[in-house]
Amino acid sequence: MTTPAGDRTVSLREVGPARRGTREDEVVVAVSPAFAGHFTKTIVDVPHAEVLRQLLAGIEEQGVTARVIRVRDTADLAAIAHLGAKLSGSGIAVGVLSRGTTMLHQKDLPRLSNLELFPQSPLLDAEVFRKIGSNAAQYAKGESPEPVPTRNDQMARPRWQAKAALLHLKEFECIEADRGPVEVEPAFELSPA
Amino acid sequence: MTSTQPEAFRRRSSRRTEILEDRPVNLDGFVEEWPEKGLVAMESEFDPRPSVRVEDGRIVELDGKGRGAFDFMDTFIANHAIDVETTEASMAIPSDEIARMLIDPNVSRRDVLAVSRGLTPAKILDVVKLMNVVEIMQGMQKMRARRTPANQGHSTSARDNPIQVAVDAAEGALRGFAELETTLGVLRYAPLVAIALQIGAQVGRGGVLTQCALEEATELELGMRGITAYAETISIYGTESVFVDGDDTPWSKAFLASAYASRGIKMRFTSGTGSEVQMGNAEGKSMLYLEIRCILMAKGAGVQGLQNGSISCIGVPGAMPGGIRAVAAENLVASMVDLECASGNDQSFSHSAMRRTARAMPQLLPGTDFVCSGYSGVPNLDNMFAGSNFDTDDYDDWNTIQRDMQVDGGLRHVREDEILEARDKAARALQALFAHLDLPAVTDDEVEAATYANSSNDYPLRDVLADLKGAQSVMDRGLTGLDLVKGLEATGFHDVAENLLTVLRQRVSGDLLQTSAILTPDFVPLSAINDANDYAGPGTGYRLQGERWEQLKKLRHVTSATNPETEVG
Repeated sequence: MTTPAGDRTVSLREVGPARRGTREDEVVVAVSPAFAGHFTKTIVDVPHAEVLRQLLAGIEEQGVTARVIRVRDTADLAAIAHLGAKLSGSGIAVGVLSRGTTMLHQKDLPRLSNLELFPQSPLLDAEVFRKIGSNAAQYAKGESPEPVPTRNDQMARPRWQAKAALLHLKEFECIEADRGPVEVEPAFELSPA
Repeated sequence: MTSTQPEAFRRRSSRRTEILEDRPVNLDGFVEEWPEKGLVAMESEFDPRPSVRVEDGRIVELDGKGRGAFDFMDTFIANHAIDVETTEASMAIPSDEIARMLIDPNVSRRDVLAVSRGLTPAKILDVVKLMNVVEIMQGMQKMRARRTPANQGHSTSARDNPIQVAVDAAEGALRGFAELETTLGVLRYAPLVAIALQIGAQVGRGGVLTQCALEEATELELGMRGITAYAETISIYGTESVFVDGDDTPWSKAFLASAYASRGIKMRFTSGTGSEVQMGNAEGKSMLYLEIRCILMAKGAGVQGLQNGSISCIGVPGAMPGGIRAVAAENLVASMVDLECASGNDQSFSHSAMRRTARAMPQLLPGTDFVCSGYSGVPNLDNMFAGSNFDTDDYDDWNTIQRDMQVDGGLRHVREDEILEARDKAARALQALFAHLDLPAVTDDEVEAATYANSSNDYPLRDVLADLKGAQSVMDRGLTGLDLVKGLEATGFHDVAENLLTVLRQRVSGDLLQTSAILTPDFVPLSAINDANDYAGPGTGYRLQGERWEQLKKLRHVTSATNPETEVG
């Protein structure tokens, strides 16, 4: 496979066990076991570098700081997002699966509830990820933002349903059962033209 | 050829490749098999081998597992679905012999059932794996429970507009659907939309059965109140882990089924290939093996029927090699264990019109109890089940295919003046009933729009908040089907009131609890009891002939033989 010239890539350097944050003005971005590792892009080929860059930009443009963690022992989005929220100083987290499915969570909500859920991964693009980041930051500031509009496409099923199942199975294969969440530093690179 | 040549040909595409790339079929998704994880349609070396052992009148071994190792699906199937008396004899019959019984017109349906009631899931899989699609269709032709095939439609609205649901139900009923189903975008709209569906259906053709797919408690309540006539969206799964994920067990589903039965309400379960692997818990078994476990679970629960054919997971088997063959096989298995089969073809399946049509042939050609368990009676943009394999744009194609093949897919061409009359009447009946029950008004403008509309975009916008308050008041006031009958009678819609009352009376007789029951226009229940499939080879069973065939010869445009300058119809 060749990468188009000028694509941004990201690697996640582990810097130690993920701890509970103390800053009230932070959002945690919690990524799944295979995100920016075994996989490099979402189900519709949005590079993980772009996903992360847009989420972080959306958070930062609201004047809120972001911290990225990788969850290693589950590929269940609700569990990932809720764990992120519990580690977040503000109690707000964005959870992201490798295929792109995303959830906004808050630490005091039940795990199977959420603030906002974006279940149709094929419909999530850079613009939506930026809005999700922005909304996360607004929740962290105690605001009540308009939920990011959800999209719907009836033909997503024939095109993407089986690939989504396959990606789900692959992400499960990357689970490391006994390993806790780890804090990571994203290193972005522009691949050479 | 040198080894460098293939590389050279990768640089540009031919014009033909570009054209093929642009064909709709290439927008569909296809994936490779991964049998270890259950991403495989029906041929997997990881599926269990058939076996059974009975001790003291109890099954102690099922498909290679001892009772101590049973999960709750095995336990339920062993205790409730398999006939302990006959299982050892049935299991001793070679699989190829059973497969031949299925397609042999000299072996009656009853003879096959005598064997199939003793078979384990792995044995049934072993049997259908021997059959190609033509043999599966031949089996379906004989094993379908009801002699007369039928069809089911969806009537929904992207705006949950009850007037749209009513008029499209009326048109759908007139065109031939024996059952009509709705669901919602905003769930709180349900009581108004369920009422609208019921009224529209009884205007279009008395005796059409209706249901509203909701979370289970509300769905049951609407049924018990007589606002709906049957239920279908009670989902079951082929692995214990997926069942538990949904906070359910086979016993909780069986309990729900008995709640419907206690009120004489028709109901069926829903399952389909691909759901378990979609949820990541296929336990390494093929999609069809897990679906056969669902089918036997439904049988064991005592429900009369099943909606299957992958349903909302159709994109998964649809992407696998042999996936649509597996889907045809799961319909056959439901029929071969004597369940009513509402056979899918009810979800957006492909970008390709050719693939959409081909996918339906194994059900349309032999006929099933309901060829579609949801042909969209509204444009797909209004379909709140996330789109169907066929919608209103396809009505004329469907009618033409029926006429070409001389097969009965349950629909017919209806002249526009009749359709407009039914739509107008349904809208006016709903207008009168809502006014009578002090529900949010339906204006004359809305009636006019509804008569001539195609989609929800063609209707004036409703006051949604007022509608939701009205919907809540239906529940708070405890309105029932009888209140609807009284309201229709009081407002001059005597015939519609009579139709609805006659449908409601069925729950007292319990006739709709019989396998594959529908109501004829004369309100005669047609089921596997009084309309048993008696196919026994050429010239027997259901044949499209007589008055019904004359109906299906009609299309929108047919040149008159008497006067070729005019059209008939």
